Amino acid sequence: MKNSSGRGYLMSFIKDLLFFPSKISDEKQIIDKTLEREIHLARNIQMKLLNGKIPKFEGGEVLGLSLPARLIGGDYYDFYLLGNGKIRVVIGDVMGKGIPAAMLMILTRGAFRSASESTDSPGQTLTAMNQALYEDLRTLKSFVTLFCADWDPQTGILTYANAGHNLPLFIDGKERIVKELPKVSGIMIGGLPNQVYKEGAIHLKNEDIVFFYTDGILEAQNKDGDQYKMERLVHALLSNIDKEIKEIGQCVVDSVNEFTEGVPQKDDITMVLLKVSNRKAKISSFNSSITNSKER
Amino acid sequence: MFSYELIEDNEKAVIYFKGDLDIEVTEIIEEQVIPLLKFYKNVDIDMSEVLFVDSTGIGLLINLVDTLRNTENDIKVTISNIHPQVQEVFEIIQLKEILGEEVLR
Repeated sequence: MKNSSGRGYLMSFIKDLLFFPSKISDEKQIIDKTLEREIHLARNIQMKLLNGKIPKFEGGEVLGLSLPARLIGGDYYDFYLLGNGKIRVVIGDVMGKGIPAAMLMILTRGAFRSASESTDSPGQTLTAMNQALYEDLRTLKSFVTLFCADWDPQTGILTYANAGHNLPLFIDGKERIVKELPKVSGIMIGGLPNQVYKEGAIHLKNEDIVFFYTDGILEAQNKDGDQYKMERLVHALLSNIDKEIKEIGQCVVDSVNEFTEGVPQKDDITMVLLKVSNRKAKISSFNSSITNSKER
Repeated sequence: MFSYELIEDNEKAVIYFKGDLDIEVTEIIEEQVIPLLKFYKNVDIDMSEVLFVDSTGIGLLINLVDTLRNTENDIKVTISNIHPQVQEVFEIIQLKEILGEEVLR
Protein backbone atom coordinates (compact mmCIF):
# COMPACT_ATOMS: atom_id res chain seq x y z
CA MET A 1 0.00 0.00 0.00
CA LYS A 2 2.55 2.46 1.14
CA ASN A 3 4.69 1.62 -1.79
CA SER A 4 1.96 2.02 -4.42
CA SER A 5 0.74 5.36 -3.06
CA GLY A 6 4.33 6.50 -3.01
CA ARG A 7 4.62 5.54 -6.63
CA GLY A 8 1.38 7.41 -7.38
CA TYR A 9 2.75 10.55 -5.81
CA LEU A 10 5.93 10.20 -7.75
CA MET A 11 4.00 9.72 -11.00
CA SER A 12 1.90 12.85 -10.49
CA PHE A 13 5.03 14.79 -9.62
CA ILE A 14 6.62 13.65 -12.87
CA LYS A 15 3.43 14.51 -14.74
CA ASP A 16 3.54 18.04 -13.28
CA LEU A 17 7.14 18.35 -14.30
CA LEU A 18 6.32 17.18 -17.80
CA PHE A 19 3.17 19.22 -18.15
CA PHE A 20 4.70 22.30 -19.70
CA PRO A 21 7.00 20.65 -22.23
CA SER A 22 4.27 18.17 -23.14
CA LYS A 23 1.96 21.03 -24.09
CA ILE A 24 4.65 22.38 -26.38
CA SER A 25 5.30 18.97 -27.85
CA ASP A 26 1.53 18.53 -28.42
CA GLU A 27 1.51 21.71 -30.48
CA LYS A 28 4.59 20.60 -32.32
CA GLN A 29 2.97 17.27 -33.04
CA ILE A 30 -0.07 19.00 -34.52
CA ILE A 31 2.16 21.16 -36.74
CA ASP A 32 4.21 18.11 -37.76
CA LYS A 33 1.09 16.19 -38.59
CA THR A 34 -0.36 19.04 -40.66
CA LEU A 35 2.93 19.40 -42.50
CA GLU A 36 3.18 15.71 -43.11
CA ARG A 37 -0.35 15.58 -44.47
CA GLU A 38 0.31 18.54 -46.79
CA ILE A 39 3.55 17.06 -48.08
CA HIS A 40 1.72 13.85 -48.87
CA LEU A 41 -1.01 15.77 -50.67
CA ALA A 42 1.64 17.68 -52.60
CA ARG A 43 3.36 14.42 -53.49
CA ASN A 44 0.06 13.07 -54.68
CA ILE A 45 -0.47 16.07 -56.96
CA GLN A 46 3.03 15.81 -58.34
CA MET A 47 2.86 12.07 -58.97
CA LYS A 48 -0.52 12.40 -60.69
CA LEU A 49 0.78 15.18 -62.93
CA LEU A 50 3.99 13.29 -63.73
CA ASN A 51 2.34 9.95 -64.32
CA GLY A 52 -0.46 11.31 -66.43
CA LYS A 53 -1.75 9.84 -69.66
CA ILE A 54 0.96 8.35 -71.84
CA PRO A 55 0.15 9.25 -75.42
CA LYS A 56 -0.43 6.34 -77.78
CA PHE A 57 0.81 6.66 -81.32
CA GLU A 58 1.65 4.39 -84.22
CA GLY A 59 5.27 3.54 -84.86
CA GLY A 60 6.60 3.58 -81.34
CA GLU A 61 6.11 3.80 -77.63
CA VAL A 62 7.12 6.17 -74.85
CA LEU A 63 7.46 5.70 -71.14
CA GLY A 64 8.49 7.93 -68.24
CA LEU A 65 9.64 6.99 -64.74
CA SER A 66 10.58 9.22 -61.83
CA LEU A 67 11.85 8.33 -58.37
CA PRO A 68 12.19 11.39 -56.14
CA ALA A 69 15.00 11.30 -53.56
CA ARG A 70 12.62 12.75 -51.00
CA LEU A 71 8.83 12.63 -50.83
CA ILE A 72 8.64 15.09 -53.68
CA GLY A 73 11.23 16.15 -56.19
CA GLY A 74 12.37 18.57 -58.84
CA ASP A 75 12.76 16.28 -61.82
CA TYR A 76 10.32 16.67 -64.66
CA TYR A 77 9.28 14.88 -67.80
CA ASP A 78 6.33 15.26 -70.07
CA PHE A 79 4.89 14.24 -73.44
CA TYR A 80 2.89 16.28 -75.83
CA LEU A 81 1.15 14.94 -78.90
CA LEU A 82 1.49 17.56 -81.63
CA GLY A 83 -1.19 18.20 -84.22
CA ASN A 84 1.00 16.96 -87.08
CA GLY A 85 1.34 13.46 -85.62
CA LYS A 86 4.72 14.16 -84.03
CA ILE A 87 5.32 13.51 -80.37
CA ARG A 88 7.21 16.01 -78.22
CA VAL A 89 9.22 14.70 -75.26
CA VAL A 90 10.76 16.85 -72.55
CA ILE A 91 12.90 15.94 -69.55
CA GLY A 92 14.40 18.29 -67.01
CA ASP A 93 15.97 18.89 -63.66
CA VAL A 94 14.99 21.82 -61.47
CA MET A 95 17.77 23.12 -59.24
CA GLY A 96 17.45 21.93 -55.67
CA LYS A 97 15.38 19.29 -53.95
CA GLY A 98 12.14 18.73 -52.11
CA ILE A 99 9.26 21.19 -51.88
CA PRO A 100 10.97 24.27 -53.39
CA ALA A 101 12.08 22.27 -56.43
CA ALA A 102 8.62 20.71 -56.77
CA MET A 103 6.99 24.15 -56.88
CA LEU A 104 9.29 25.21 -59.72
CA MET A 105 8.71 21.91 -61.48
CA ILE A 106 4.99 22.68 -61.69
CA LEU A 107 5.86 26.14 -63.08
CA THR A 108 8.07 24.46 -65.71
CA ARG A 109 5.31 22.05 -66.66
CA GLY A 110 2.88 24.91 -67.27
CA ALA A 111 5.46 26.70 -69.42
CA PHE A 112 6.13 23.55 -71.47
CA ARG A 113 2.48 22.84 -72.14
CA SER A 114 1.69 26.37 -73.26
CA ALA A 115 4.91 26.66 -75.29
CA SER A 116 4.10 23.37 -77.04
CA GLU A 117 0.77 24.77 -78.18
CA SER A 118 2.44 27.60 -80.04
CA THR A 119 5.84 26.36 -81.23
CA ASP A 120 6.86 24.16 -84.15
CA SER A 121 10.17 22.75 -82.97
CA PRO A 122 12.05 21.76 -79.81
CA GLY A 123 14.44 24.72 -80.15
CA GLN A 124 11.54 27.14 -80.36
CA THR A 125 9.91 25.46 -77.37
CA LEU A 126 13.03 26.00 -75.24
CA THR A 127 13.30 29.62 -76.41
CA ALA A 128 9.66 30.25 -75.47
CA MET A 129 10.09 28.52 -72.11
CA ASN A 130 13.21 30.51 -71.30
CA GLN A 131 11.39 33.75 -72.18
CA ALA A 132 8.47 32.74 -69.96
CA LEU A 133 10.51 31.56 -66.98
CA TYR A 134 13.68 33.70 -67.06
CA GLU A 135 12.48 36.57 -64.83
CA ASP A 136 10.93 34.26 -62.23
CA LEU A 137 13.94 31.97 -62.09
CA ARG A 138 16.36 34.91 -61.71
CA THR A 139 14.24 36.35 -58.90
CA LEU A 140 14.21 32.97 -57.19
CA LYS A 141 17.93 32.36 -57.90
CA SER A 142 17.11 29.07 -59.51
CA PHE A 143 17.35 27.39 -62.90
CA VAL A 144 16.12 24.39 -64.84
CA THR A 145 18.01 22.17 -67.26
CA LEU A 146 15.84 20.80 -70.07
CA PHE A 147 16.16 18.54 -73.08
CA CYS A 148 13.37 18.66 -75.61
CA ALA A 149 12.83 16.43 -78.65
CA ASP A 150 10.22 15.98 -81.38
CA TRP A 151 9.84 12.57 -82.93
CA ASP A 152 8.17 12.14 -86.26
CA PRO A 153 6.96 8.53 -86.69
CA GLN A 154 6.35 9.17 -90.40
CA THR A 155 9.94 10.04 -91.26
CA GLY A 156 11.67 8.44 -88.25
CA ILE A 157 13.52 11.68 -87.56
CA LEU A 158 14.12 12.86 -84.03
CA THR A 159 14.83 16.61 -83.79
CA TYR A 160 16.13 17.92 -80.49
CA ALA A 161 17.43 20.92 -78.56
CA ASN A 162 19.24 21.25 -75.28
CA ALA A 163 19.16 23.75 -72.40
CA GLY A 164 22.05 22.66 -70.21
CA HIS A 165 20.90 19.06 -69.81
CA ASN A 166 22.95 15.89 -70.22
CA LEU A 167 22.66 14.29 -73.66
CA PRO A 168 20.28 11.31 -73.96
CA LEU A 169 21.60 7.94 -75.05
CA PHE A 170 20.89 6.47 -78.44
CA ILE A 171 20.64 2.69 -78.48
CA ASP A 172 21.02 1.10 -81.88
CA GLY A 173 18.67 -1.89 -81.69
CA LYS A 174 20.28 -3.74 -84.60
CA GLU A 175 23.98 -3.09 -83.95
CA ARG A 176 23.40 -3.24 -80.19
CA ILE A 177 25.55 -0.25 -79.36
CA VAL A 178 24.89 2.69 -77.07
CA LYS A 179 26.16 6.21 -77.67
CA GLU A 180 25.17 9.75 -76.80
CA LEU A 181 23.04 11.66 -79.28
CA PRO A 182 25.20 13.96 -81.45
CA LYS A 183 26.09 16.93 -79.28
CA VAL A 184 23.92 20.03 -79.20
CA SER A 185 24.34 22.51 -76.40
CA GLY A 186 22.47 25.51 -75.07
CA ILE A 187 22.22 27.63 -71.93
CA MET A 188 20.07 26.25 -69.11
CA ILE A 189 16.61 27.80 -68.64
CA GLY A 190 16.94 30.86 -66.40
CA GLY A 191 20.67 31.24 -67.20
CA LEU A 192 20.59 34.09 -69.74
CA PRO A 193 17.74 35.96 -71.45
CA ASN A 194 16.87 35.86 -75.17
CA GLN A 195 18.40 32.52 -76.02
CA VAL A 196 18.15 30.82 -79.40
CA TYR A 197 18.53 27.06 -79.10
CA LYS A 198 20.29 25.13 -81.85
CA GLU A 199 18.74 21.88 -83.00
CA GLY A 200 20.20 18.50 -83.84
CA ALA A 201 18.57 15.58 -85.63
CA ILE A 202 19.02 11.84 -85.92
CA HIS A 203 17.23 9.17 -87.90
CA LEU A 204 15.76 6.33 -85.83
CA LYS A 205 15.22 2.86 -87.25
CA ASN A 206 12.95 0.10 -86.10
CA GLU A 207 13.87 -1.20 -82.61
CA ASP A 208 16.10 1.81 -81.83
CA ILE A 209 15.69 3.34 -78.39
CA VAL A 210 16.40 6.82 -77.09
CA PHE A 211 17.01 6.99 -73.36
CA PHE A 212 16.51 10.45 -71.82
CA TYR A 213 17.57 10.77 -68.19
CA THR A 214 18.63 13.02 -65.33
CA ASP A 215 22.06 12.81 -63.74
CA GLY A 216 20.61 11.31 -60.53
CA ILE A 217 21.05 7.90 -62.18
CA LEU A 218 24.78 8.24 -62.87
CA GLU A 219 25.41 9.85 -59.50
CA ALA A 220 23.52 7.26 -57.43
CA GLN A 221 25.95 6.15 -54.71
CA ASN A 222 26.53 2.91 -52.85
CA LYS A 223 27.72 2.66 -49.24
CA ASP A 224 31.36 3.06 -50.27
CA GLY A 225 30.54 6.33 -51.99
CA ASP A 226 31.10 4.89 -55.49
CA GLN A 227 28.84 6.20 -58.22
CA TYR A 228 26.64 4.12 -60.54
CA LYS A 229 28.19 5.77 -63.61
CA MET A 230 27.68 5.44 -67.35
CA GLU A 231 29.29 2.02 -67.73
CA ARG A 232 26.69 0.30 -65.53
CA LEU A 233 23.85 2.18 -67.21
CA VAL A 234 25.04 1.13 -70.68
CA HIS A 235 25.34 -2.46 -69.50
CA ALA A 236 21.83 -2.42 -67.98
CA LEU A 237 20.40 -1.02 -71.20
CA LEU A 238 22.19 -3.41 -73.53
CA SER A 239 21.32 -6.52 -71.56
CA ASN A 240 17.62 -5.67 -71.62
CA ILE A 241 17.37 -4.18 -75.09
CA ASP A 242 14.95 -6.79 -76.45
CA LYS A 243 12.39 -6.42 -73.69
CA GLU A 244 9.19 -4.39 -73.67
CA ILE A 245 9.72 -0.70 -72.95
CA LYS A 246 8.15 -1.01 -69.46
CA GLU A 247 10.49 -3.83 -68.55
CA ILE A 248 13.56 -1.96 -69.81
CA GLY A 249 12.70 0.99 -67.56
CA GLN A 250 12.15 -1.31 -64.59
CA CYS A 251 15.41 -3.19 -65.28
CA VAL A 252 17.37 0.07 -65.13
CA VAL A 253 15.69 0.97 -61.82
CA ASP A 254 16.42 -2.52 -60.47
CA SER A 255 20.04 -2.28 -61.60
CA VAL A 256 20.46 1.06 -59.78
CA ASN A 257 18.82 -0.36 -56.63
CA GLU A 258 20.99 -3.43 -56.75
CA PHE A 259 24.06 -1.21 -56.94
CA THR A 260 23.09 1.20 -54.14
CA GLU A 261 21.94 -1.61 -51.82
CA GLY A 262 19.46 0.58 -50.01
CA VAL A 263 21.69 3.64 -49.52
CA PRO A 264 19.22 6.57 -49.59
CA GLN A 265 19.11 8.38 -52.94
CA LYS A 266 20.85 11.78 -52.91
CA ASP A 267 19.16 13.08 -56.01
CA ASP A 268 15.97 12.45 -57.97
CA ILE A 269 16.19 9.76 -60.63
CA THR A 270 14.17 10.20 -63.79
CA MET A 271 14.13 8.59 -67.22
CA VAL A 272 12.11 8.68 -70.40
CA LEU A 273 12.29 5.97 -73.03
CA LEU A 274 11.28 6.21 -76.66
CA LYS A 275 11.28 2.96 -78.58
CA VAL A 276 10.63 2.68 -82.30
CA SER A 277 8.57 -0.28 -83.38
CA ASN A 278 6.87 -0.73 -86.70
CA ARG A 279 5.07 -3.90 -85.72
CA LYS A 280 1.80 -2.13 -86.43
CA ALA A 281 3.07 -0.78 -89.72
CA LYS A 282 -0.05 -1.81 -91.61
CA ILE A 283 -2.38 0.02 -89.27
CA SER A 284 -0.01 2.94 -89.33
CA SER A 285 -0.09 3.32 -93.09
CA PHE A 286 -3.84 2.84 -93.07
CA ASN A 287 -4.20 5.63 -90.52
CA SER A 288 -1.85 7.94 -92.31
CA SER A 289 -3.77 7.60 -95.54
CA ILE A 290 -6.89 8.66 -93.67
CA THR A 291 -5.07 11.63 -92.19
CA ASN A 292 -3.77 12.57 -95.60
CA SER A 293 -7.17 12.41 -97.20
CA LYS A 294 -8.54 14.54 -94.38
CA GLU A 295 -5.83 17.10 -94.95
CA ARG A 296 -6.76 17.34 -98.56
CA MET B 1 31.65 17.20 -45.08
CA PHE B 2 32.30 20.56 -46.69
CA SER B 3 34.88 22.98 -45.34
CA TYR B 4 36.73 26.00 -46.61
CA GLU B 5 39.99 27.80 -45.96
CA LEU B 6 40.69 31.45 -46.60
CA ILE B 7 44.13 32.80 -47.42
CA GLU B 8 44.35 36.55 -47.78
CA ASP B 9 46.94 38.81 -49.20
CA ASN B 10 46.01 42.50 -48.84
CA GLU B 11 42.89 43.03 -50.90
CA LYS B 12 43.05 39.65 -52.55
CA ALA B 13 41.52 36.52 -51.05
CA VAL B 14 41.81 32.93 -52.15
CA ILE B 15 39.15 30.66 -50.72
CA TYR B 16 39.74 26.93 -50.93
CA PHE B 17 36.55 24.87 -51.10
CA LYS B 18 36.90 21.32 -49.86
CA GLY B 19 34.26 18.60 -50.25
CA ASP B 20 30.97 18.17 -52.12
CA LEU B 21 29.15 21.32 -53.16
CA ASP B 22 25.48 20.45 -52.67
CA ILE B 23 22.36 21.45 -50.74
CA GLU B 24 24.07 20.83 -47.38
CA VAL B 25 26.43 23.74 -48.06
CA THR B 26 23.65 26.35 -48.52
CA GLU B 27 23.95 27.91 -45.03
CA ILE B 28 27.76 27.88 -45.07
CA ILE B 29 27.86 29.85 -48.33
CA GLU B 30 25.12 32.28 -47.42
CA GLU B 31 25.90 32.88 -43.75
CA GLN B 32 29.69 32.50 -43.64
CA VAL B 33 31.39 32.67 -47.03
CA ILE B 34 29.57 35.67 -48.53
CA PRO B 35 29.95 37.90 -45.41
CA LEU B 36 33.60 36.85 -45.19
CA LEU B 37 34.47 37.67 -48.79
CA LYS B 38 32.57 40.84 -49.49
CA PHE B 39 35.27 43.22 -48.25
CA TYR B 40 37.97 42.13 -50.66
CA LYS B 41 38.63 43.48 -54.14
CA ASN B 42 39.75 40.21 -55.68
CA VAL B 43 38.40 36.80 -54.81
CA ASP B 44 39.60 33.53 -56.24
CA ILE B 45 37.56 30.40 -55.52
CA ASP B 46 39.85 27.37 -55.66
CA MET B 47 37.87 24.24 -56.49
CA SER B 48 40.72 21.71 -56.65
CA GLU B 49 39.29 19.75 -53.73
CA VAL B 50 35.67 19.74 -54.90
CA LEU B 51 34.91 16.47 -56.64
CA PHE B 52 31.12 16.72 -56.82
CA VAL B 53 28.75 19.59 -57.60
CA ASP B 54 25.02 19.05 -58.02
CA SER B 55 22.44 21.48 -59.40
CA THR B 56 21.95 23.15 -56.03
CA GLY B 57 25.73 23.55 -55.74
CA ILE B 58 25.84 25.25 -59.15
CA GLY B 59 23.06 27.56 -58.01
CA LEU B 60 25.03 28.42 -54.87
CA LEU B 61 28.12 29.14 -56.93
CA ILE B 62 26.24 31.41 -59.36
CA ASN B 63 24.62 33.20 -56.46
CA LEU B 64 27.98 33.61 -54.69
CA VAL B 65 29.65 35.10 -57.77
CA ASP B 66 26.69 37.39 -58.54
CA THR B 67 26.40 38.62 -54.96
CA LEU B 68 30.14 39.41 -54.73
CA ARG B 69 30.19 41.15 -58.11
CA ASN B 70 27.23 43.31 -57.13
CA THR B 71 28.72 44.66 -53.91
CA GLU B 72 29.98 48.24 -53.63
CA ASN B 73 33.52 46.90 -53.90
CA ASP B 74 32.77 45.61 -57.38
CA ILE B 75 34.73 42.48 -56.55
CA LYS B 76 36.61 40.70 -59.31
CA VAL B 77 35.80 37.00 -58.90
CA THR B 78 37.53 34.04 -60.49
CA ILE B 79 36.99 30.30 -60.14
CA SER B 80 40.06 28.16 -60.64
CA ASN B 81 41.53 24.66 -60.51
CA ILE B 82 38.26 22.96 -61.38
CA HIS B 83 38.41 19.18 -61.21
CA PRO B 84 37.80 17.50 -64.63
CA GLN B 85 34.76 15.67 -63.25
CA VAL B 86 33.22 18.98 -62.14
CA GLN B 87 34.36 20.74 -65.32
CA GLU B 88 32.24 18.29 -67.29
CA VAL B 89 29.12 19.36 -65.37
CA PHE B 90 30.01 23.06 -65.85
CA GLU B 91 30.34 22.51 -69.58
CA ILE B 92 26.97 20.79 -69.90
CA ILE B 93 25.16 23.72 -68.29
CA GLN B 94 27.49 26.23 -70.02
CA LEU B 95 28.53 27.97 -66.83
CA LYS B 96 31.25 29.93 -68.64
CA GLU B 97 28.68 31.61 -70.87
CA ILE B 98 26.48 32.39 -67.88
CA LEU B 99 29.14 33.80 -65.53
CA GLY B 100 31.44 35.20 -68.20
CA GLU B 101 34.90 34.20 -69.40
CA GLU B 102 36.57 36.50 -66.90
CA VAL B 103 35.28 34.27 -64.08
CA LEU B 104 35.94 30.84 -65.56
CA ARG B 105 39.13 30.87 -67.58
